[in-house]
Amino acid sequence: MSTVIAPAGSARGQARRGGGYEQPQGRRSNFELYSWFFMRLSGLILIFLSLYHLVWWNLIVGVEHLSADLVRERWQNPFWRFYNVALLLFAMLHGLNGLRYSIEDYVRKPGAQVAVKAVAYTLILTSMAIGAFALFTYNPAVAAAAR
Amino acid sequence: MAIVDRAKSLSAALTYRGREGMWTWILHRATGLGILLFLIIHVVETATVIYWPQLYEGFLDTYKSAFFRFAEVLIFFSVVYHALNGTRIIVQDFWPLAMRRQRQLAWAAGGLTVLAMIPITFLMIRPLLGGPEPGEERHRQRIERQQATVPATTPVVQVTP
Ligand code: HEM
Ligand code: HEM
Repeated sequence: MSTVIAPAGSARGQARRGGGYEQPQGRRSNFELYSWFFMRLSGLILIFLSLYHLVWWNLIVGVEHLSADLVRERWQNPFWRFYNVALLLFAMLHGLNGLRYSIEDYVRKPGAQVAVKAVAYTLILTSMAIGAFALFTYNPAVAAAAR
Repeated sequence: MAIVDRAKSLSAALTYRGREGMWTWILHRATGLGILLFLIIHVVETATVIYWPQLYEGFLDTYKSAFFRFAEVLIFFSVVYHALNGTRIIVQDFWPLAMRRQRQLAWAAGGLTVLAMIPITFLMIRPLLGGPEPGEERHRQRIERQQATVPATTPVVQVTP
């Protein structure tokens, strides 16, 4: 079927015409198998999380009506903070792993690959931590004081 | 077994798969990386809403600018396409028979994306052409509710039964 073979040293499944990778065979380490499965699971969850987020802010609320107050009002409800934590977590980790696929495809020199990965992971994990910090430490009283 | 390097250069990356499969794959990767780039900026920008609300309002002004409205449509398109094409990939993984209809399914994902984006683009761009902003009615009701709950500063006549 597929004529394209994954790069040496990668335990990822074979790239497939039309997108995606074949399910890797779990041998020595099952990491690639879990990562393959995680991409699919998080993808299915993200369909609902990300599309509802986009429909809500762009089509139901309207960007012209956005304000800090409106966001804080929404964050009063723990459900929406939890929702955002889930969206943040799944989108970032799904994106991180997707970016890893791309880096492994385009940056072939081992040393350079480690360096690029380090920069990319730091960037993504830092922004994820900042976002999670905002959501977890949200306190209506503090927010009101900082007006 | 010969090891065929998957991508030696961008041009190689853009040509080695051929036909529809190549384009769906490039678009899937480009939209995924594009959303990720936006997401990193978006999350840091949103985090300012608690301690620096004025700064956050400044970011919101960007969202409201005419130029960024097109960016929002592009982001919306990216998520819709990536979601539909991703669903196709997942369906093909867990239901092998669907692999035989790969080309048709790829066209279906692309077609559904275009179909969905027609009304979405219309609603999001219409305000630039003088049309109404989405959520106008909600917004009006919210302002009314706010005014009704702050009688201290505004001399609103309270009708009490
Ligand atoms: C909306 C629902 C989504 C679905 C159904 C979905 C599904 C998928 C699938 C099935 C893959 C292929 C994984 C593989 O090849 O093993 C993938 C790759 C990827 N996704 Fe998503 N995804 C979604 C949302 C997102 C979001 C929000 C982002 C950005 C943060 C993202 C970024 C990526 C990236 C960068 C790749 C790698 C592309 C490549 O290797 O060519 N995805 N996605
Ligand atoms: C261009 C269209 C978009 C607009 C107008 C928008 C608007 C907003 C607004 C107003 C908030 C703060 C209120 C809330 O908690 O929901 C927010 C937060 C958030 N958005 Fe979006 N968004 C857009 C696209 C996206 C996309 C495509 C993603 C992910 C794939 C995303 C992920 C998030 C996350 C994770 C948060 C929570 C951030 C945090 O505090 O950590 N957004 N967005």
